[in-house]
Amino acid sequence: MKLINSIKRDFNTMTLVMIPVAIAINVVIGQIVALLKLPVYLDSIGTVLVAAICGPWAGALTGTLSNIIWGLLVDPNALPWFPVALFIGFVAGWCAVAGLFRTWWKVIITGILVALAAATVSTPIQVYLYGGITASGSSFITAFLLQTGRDLITAVLSTNFLVEPIDKIATCLLAFAIIKGLSTRYLARFPRPENITM
Amino acid sequence: MPDRLSFFIPRESRVHSLNPLTKLALAFSLIILAFFGPGLFLPVALYFFVLVPLSLLGKVGKEFLQTSFRLLLPLFAFLFVMQSLFYPGGETVIFSFWIFSATSEGVVFAFRTATRILVMVSSFLLLLLTTHPSTLMNDLSRRGVPASLSYIITSTLQIIPQMQARAVTIQDAQRSRGLDTGGNLINRIRSLLPLVGPLVFSSLVDVEERAIAIEARAFTLPVKKTSLIDIPDSRGEAVLRWVMAALSLMTIGYRIWLSLN
Repeated sequence: MKLINSIKRDFNTMTLVMIPVAIAINVVIGQIVALLKLPVYLDSIGTVLVAAICGPWAGALTGTLSNIIWGLLVDPNALPWFPVALFIGFVAGWCAVAGLFRTWWKVIITGILVALAAATVSTPIQVYLYGGITASGSSFITAFLLQTGRDLITAVLSTNFLVEPIDKIATCLLAFAIIKGLSTRYLARFPRPENITM
Repeated sequence: MPDRLSFFIPRESRVHSLNPLTKLALAFSLIILAFFGPGLFLPVALYFFVLVPLSLLGKVGKEFLQTSFRLLLPLFAFLFVMQSLFYPGGETVIFSFWIFSATSEGVVFAFRTATRILVMVSSFLLLLLTTHPSTLMNDLSRRGVPASLSYIITSTLQIIPQMQARAVTIQDAQRSRGLDTGGNLINRIRSLLPLVGPLVFSSLVDVEERAIAIEARAFTLPVKKTSLIDIPDSRGEAVLRWVMAALSLMTIGYRIWLSLN
């Protein structure tokens, strides 16, 4: 019951209204980044933002729904990857609860932990659903590792460990920069303002 | 950026007038059949004998084929090249050049994966082409899915086009004062912040007002809400959904039975 109550506390009206905006931030920034042809995705800034100020459960929900919306609007290929987004929000949320969202160098640690979670969760999806190869450029690294005699799971996992950290650290730092730009009065309306104030 | 926000095409057809839940159940059971069902050619058969005829019946055949080609062709080309060359454990060499050799095991594996993904993506595509997302969410919330969940999804669908329009405005404004969004990598990274910053902060400002607005309309009260739109559902469709659920369960059972023996 304690758990259910703490989850309910995280979903106040501000959270409910914030989640759609966060999903829209994910989608639109993801599109801007693709337009600028940057070598990262940055499609979970909104998820990390919600996770930091509304808690891990709201973060997990934001991530999951982001993928579903991306699947509904842009590309149904995104649908099976929702567990990755779920864990990005969830891990970022717990990191923030543990105080890892207060200074920029702690945020880098959050980014690394989020990247580890994302890499671990996406590996089985990539291996069992797509046979290890997706349409992204990083699949060339996977193919290279396969050719040097690694087995499929090791190859995919090590590719993900190479690729994810840069993207996730940048994502967390940008979310941190956004939070620093918001007023204390505004942040206090969210369920977990103590996560980010000193 | 896409011109229209969702895949939905409003037309009068037998598929359009089906209950959204029936179409959702159809999508899920087709995916389960494609991934766990027997035989190498089952997914292709499902695509050509179930999905394509249904898309024609729904009068979205042209869009169905076009969109699935656009979404999947690059992936499939990549998949076939990479898997036939690098599939681990491939022994039967079809042809080889320089240091590469294509194996038939790799080609078979690529075919299996590609046809499964084809069924997965196009069965959702059929659902999305013939069902508006908010109709789907309305029907689901009538059946007991929390109202806050359908609020989140439907309001996201309204916010995204507003935000895309705002992003275009900000891009134009920043370019007109000399922001260079092209050039080398460092240049492009630098141009990210002036584009993203105003967009994010201006949309976060609205959040507080909207929260007050929906609280004033008793959104958070724990009472049963009535729906303005009536979504038709028939007895026959309910039976159909149970048949599809049973078929999916049988397929999964068959797969578990196979792996135990």
